[in-house]
Amino acid sequence: MTDSVDAEILEGIARLDPAPPDLDERVLFAIELDQVDAEVARLTETAYAGSGARAAERTRTITFEADSRTVMITVVERSDNLVRIDGWLAPGAALRVELRLPEPTASRTVVADPAGRFVFDEVPHGLAQLLVDGGTGTGRVVTPSLVL
Amino acid sequence: MSADVHLGALLQRARDGDRESLRELVHELNPVLWRVARGQGLSADDAADVVQTTWLELLRRIHEIRTPRAVTAWLITATRRESWHRRRRDRRDVPDSDGVLDAAVDPGPAPDQRVLTDERDRVLWRHFAKLSDRCRELLSIVAEVRRPDYGAIAAGLGMPHGSIGPTRARCLAKLRTMLLADPGWGRHD
Repeated sequence: MTDSVDAEILEGIARLDPAPPDLDERVLFAIELDQVDAEVARLTETAYAGSGARAAERTRTITFEADSRTVMITVVERSDNLVRIDGWLAPGAALRVELRLPEPTASRTVVADPAGRFVFDEVPHGLAQLLVDGGTGTGRVVTPSLVL
Repeated sequence: MSADVHLGALLQRARDGDRESLRELVHELNPVLWRVARGQGLSADDAADVVQTTWLELLRRIHEIRTPRAVTAWLITATRRESWHRRRRDRRDVPDSDGVLDAAVDPGPAPDQRVLTDERDRVLWRHFAKLSDRCRELLSIVAEVRRPDYGAIAAGLGMPHGSIGPTRARCLAKLRTMLLADPGWGRHD
């Protein structure tokens, strides 16, 4: 029982605040994992530092929390339009960390130091996702995709 | 085929490893989940993130879903729960300038101002914002779905099954009355 006025109102509501155009892409990238049983880490905090007037001076610190582990990364803008990711795992452990990037770019893998620090340098802007291997007694942890 | 049967079939095929069915499921249901998260008062960034997290959880639990036809309700419920947790978290974010603008608009999350170039859309938004949370949530979900599956929406929103139709009608009637009384809506220019 929807007449033309109701239909027009609903069409108008659908135009208000539509989902961002890249939402499907971000979701599809995030769930295109071979391993789906990983624990999902929630984004809990994003903080910006730097002047903001120049993008090259801005850094962004993002915290993801899973039950078994916290993953914190700082995304630093480089002068060559690439970024560096400085990361920490807590509790710290020498675990394998994978940085997934959209195809055809290959994933990168590093091993954190015993304190849980890891670095990915010369990373292109765009979508990315982190996977952290499980330590003793804990499973893998996956973050949602983030836009670098 | 009704919407729930179709989406249930997609879920079953996705569960068997069919990536294309999973992609179709995302395309079909993402707009609804976005509305659900925004309806819970999240910023655009947080809503996008919550929607992603919800899909990752679905994937993790895909073999635990007993009734594939209930996937819409499962996802709406999960999105609401994630949104609630996100809101409750102590948010110490230092907002950028866009965030400040968003926060200054009240009530409810503001749509992207760029889409409100049409005067009638602005009038609509003004009156829509006066509706109750429940009305805004329900109407924005119904508006997003071509063939609303009231059973799934009711289950996801925790409303009695039979109440969705009447609630939708009541909310729509209220909005319509406000709009028809506003000269800004009646003017076609």
